[in-house]
Amino acid sequence: MTRDRQFQTTLIAPSIFVLLLIGVFPLVYLLVVSFQGITMTANDTSFHGLRNFAQLMQDTRAWESLLHTLVFTGVALPLELVLGLLMAQLFIDHLPGRPVFVALLVLPVVVSPIVSGATWSLMFDNRFGPINQVIGWLAGREVTLLWTIQPNLVYPAILVAEVWQWTPFMFLLLLAALSAVDKSQLEAAAIDGAGYWRTFFRIVLPAIWPVMAVAILIRGLDLFRLFDIVWALTKGGPGTTTETLSIFTYVKGFQQFETSYTAAVALLIIFALSVAVTLALRRVQLSR
Amino acid sequence: MADLKISALHKYYGTMHAVRGIDLEIPAGEFTVLVGQSGCGKSTLLRTIAGLEDIGSGTIAIAGEVVNDLPPRERDIAMVFQNYALYPYMTVYDNIAFGLRARKTPRSEIESKVQAAAKMLAIDHLLDRHPRQLSGGQLQRVAIGRAIVRNARLYLFDEPLSNLDAQLRDEMRGEIKRLHQELGKTMIYVTHDQIEAMTMADRIVLMREGRIEQQGAPLDLYERPATKYVAGFLGSPAMNFIPAQLVADGGGLALRLADSTRLALPAQRAARYATQRDRAVTLGVRPEHIGRARAGDTRAGLARCAADIDLVQPTGSRTYGTFRLGGQEVIAELQAHDVPKVHEQVELAIDMNRALLIDPQTEAVL
Amino acid sequence: MKVQHRRQVTQAARFVGAVLLTVCFLFPIYWLFMMSFKTADEIYAYPPVWWPSGLQLGNYVVLFKDGDARAVWNSLVVSSLSTVAAMFLGTICAYSLARFKTGGDHLANWIISQRMVPPIAVVFPIFLLYVWFHWVDTYFGLILLYTAFNLPYVIWMMRGYILDIPIALEQAALVDGYTRWQVLWKVVFPMCRAGLFATAVFTFVFAWNDFIFALVLTRTEVTTYTVQVTHYFGGQSNFWAKISAMSVLGTVPIFIVVGFMQRYLVRGISLGAVKG
Repeated sequence: MTRDRQFQTTLIAPSIFVLLLIGVFPLVYLLVVSFQGITMTANDTSFHGLRNFAQLMQDTRAWESLLHTLVFTGVALPLELVLGLLMAQLFIDHLPGRPVFVALLVLPVVVSPIVSGATWSLMFDNRFGPINQVIGWLAGREVTLLWTIQPNLVYPAILVAEVWQWTPFMFLLLLAALSAVDKSQLEAAAIDGAGYWRTFFRIVLPAIWPVMAVAILIRGLDLFRLFDIVWALTKGGPGTTTETLSIFTYVKGFQQFETSYTAAVALLIIFALSVAVTLALRRVQLSR
Repeated sequence: MADLKISALHKYYGTMHAVRGIDLEIPAGEFTVLVGQSGCGKSTLLRTIAGLEDIGSGTIAIAGEVVNDLPPRERDIAMVFQNYALYPYMTVYDNIAFGLRARKTPRSEIESKVQAAAKMLAIDHLLDRHPRQLSGGQLQRVAIGRAIVRNARLYLFDEPLSNLDAQLRDEMRGEIKRLHQELGKTMIYVTHDQIEAMTMADRIVLMREGRIEQQGAPLDLYERPATKYVAGFLGSPAMNFIPAQLVADGGGLALRLADSTRLALPAQRAARYATQRDRAVTLGVRPEHIGRARAGDTRAGLARCAADIDLVQPTGSRTYGTFRLGGQEVIAELQAHDVPKVHEQVELAIDMNRALLIDPQTEAVL
Repeated sequence: MKVQHRRQVTQAARFVGAVLLTVCFLFPIYWLFMMSFKTADEIYAYPPVWWPSGLQLGNYVVLFKDGDARAVWNSLVVSSLSTVAAMFLGTICAYSLARFKTGGDHLANWIISQRMVPPIAVVFPIFLLYVWFHWVDTYFGLILLYTAFNLPYVIWMMRGYILDIPIALEQAALVDGYTRWQVLWKVVFPMCRAGLFATAVFTFVFAWNDFIFALVLTRTEVTTYTVQVTHYFGGQSNFWAKISAMSVLGTVPIFIVVGFMQRYLVRGISLGAVKG
């Protein structure tokens, strides 16, 4: 069967080559450089041991950026999940023109996060944005909230943009999952006398849980890497109020050129994510 | 338990008229089988009784109470589904207890009822398992268990045995019938299998294209079908149908077939049809009424014919021989050990006392 | 008919809800589009103008005149070519994994793990690699990168789709005398067409909307539209006009692609979750 072997090798070789180049090399690089002392000013490639990592542990700005990232994740993910589920419930029974609605509701997802950020910058503009205008109507007076500048307003602004863009993603996934629920089970429950909520929690939720778990994993991962939307709205500001972990890394690497330090940060991020994902996957597998 | 009364029931799926005016009265405690081909409306009818489908017009009344507008949970019915519809993420115990828990039954009562139902169905050793760990037959029992544990007044079965293999089906048929004898509840059972209908029903309702073709006790429908459809539906192998013409024969009547074979009618029957001479009819005769002619058997009404058997199908308990008569393929039933060779000429006797005469246009039995 | 009535009423209510929901979600997009057609006066009018007086294309003209619109062209070239490359390489690799289980679990797991790598962590070393190869600000460089980053996704999805195709079809073709390559082209690819389209759409969208790689790996030649948009941020007087026009220019192609492939997209997202 050497011909089959040859065939297989030809099939996978180009992909593996590309992946090695773009996937493995950076990791090796990070591993090496994070133990060195390369900064903007010094090209020190000597072995610095764990100094970079120790410095990272003490870096309050780094920890704050982690906190900011976790706040975004912790608020946006449940919001998107619940809203997506509610939307899916709205559409699950027969509705005239449903394909049209679904097609239109998908549009926020395919817009670039940069464009999404830019759009909401527009919407939240303090003088010319419709958001302030509508609030002004409700409040009865002119309102010029500085959504992208005032520290206690930037988080809601970013969250609105983020939830706006990704709830339809959850919605699509959950709609598909809800459609796949065995109808005869729901009928049996109806005959057995179960009310709406009992049927939902005991029968529907367990049935859609596998898809929900995947959705949470995917979006959780994406939220952890949040960059584009925040960059477009606030660039991490004001100051470092909304600086996420990714923005922090970018600043350290491409603005301050702290090469080795950035490598250490990057390595830790990869490590932390790998651990989290492996644990999460194992839990999902177990619960099935 | 309760009786069921359906009046003038119509149901449409868009423009398709699935149920066309059904009137049905089922007394309490009876085991009724709705039988018919796929698409005849039997499942639809069952689901409207359950409340899973809306009706177009008409009324459904259970124990005298009109239930048209009641949702399923308020009709006090139980249903067994074709694909069991068990909840995969619950144990067998929880599956059976689900309906009781929904109605806020106290826990001790749930415990005793579930155990009783499980014991009755011989699944009490499976209560901790999950559906994916069970075989088809066990799943079916759990589905039945879930239905009987609530002690509803009406039980509905939607082709519950269709997903089981033949041997299991035979077993479960008997078990369901025994269950009915024990519980004595009103049960409505849908199937496309006429054997299930014949063996299990107190009353068969044969449906065709949204209407009731005929209803009655199984043997009534079998021996006195009202139409050709009923006659051909019940019985396996199916009844033979041969075009014929009533002609005068000596002092009485005979049937002349397309190949000029004449089959004389016995005197009593000839008297009934005396006024219908020269009429074209369809002759219907069951395979079990065509057998090998035996010398010395001179009962009235036995018409003899010579047959050239071209296909032999032994089943072990009897043998079926196919031959041509009157231009049709006809099946005769022979004794088990009587296995003729292909193209062997045999002398057959047709019991014309049991044969049916059918109007070719209306398909009504004369 | 009380039950039926109630059902109709709820359906009507749900329809109204659906309409409201759609309006809410589409409003920002409407605002963006509408902004791009406004004149400078309208943009800075107070209270804000919700409906421009006319569809004036002045903002777009400026972009084309200044040559900025080239960014959209760059995005198009880079996204299309990387999608084609990723789809081709990825699908044949997926075939090998699906049918021959090449490399067993280890290879499959490694490929999947590549997808989890956060771009921000690797963008710096990749930048340095590119500098060394002189690939920065080249079409080839960006195309190679997007191909590489989309490969794991393509492989993962197409493997699932290929596994769904009954192997009997390929075996019949082999018995009929086709070579393995012919089987791939004539039997496998056509059979998983739906999966190919769905995955291709996703791959394209991912490359098209990417920001961070484009930001780091391009300078002036291969700027994609996402980076171009951010160039207009920062306090000039007409930056809203350019931002919105550029955004629209970059978004309309995606809307068109998604519009055509809409069926596949929806199925792709849902199947992706089920297969995951």
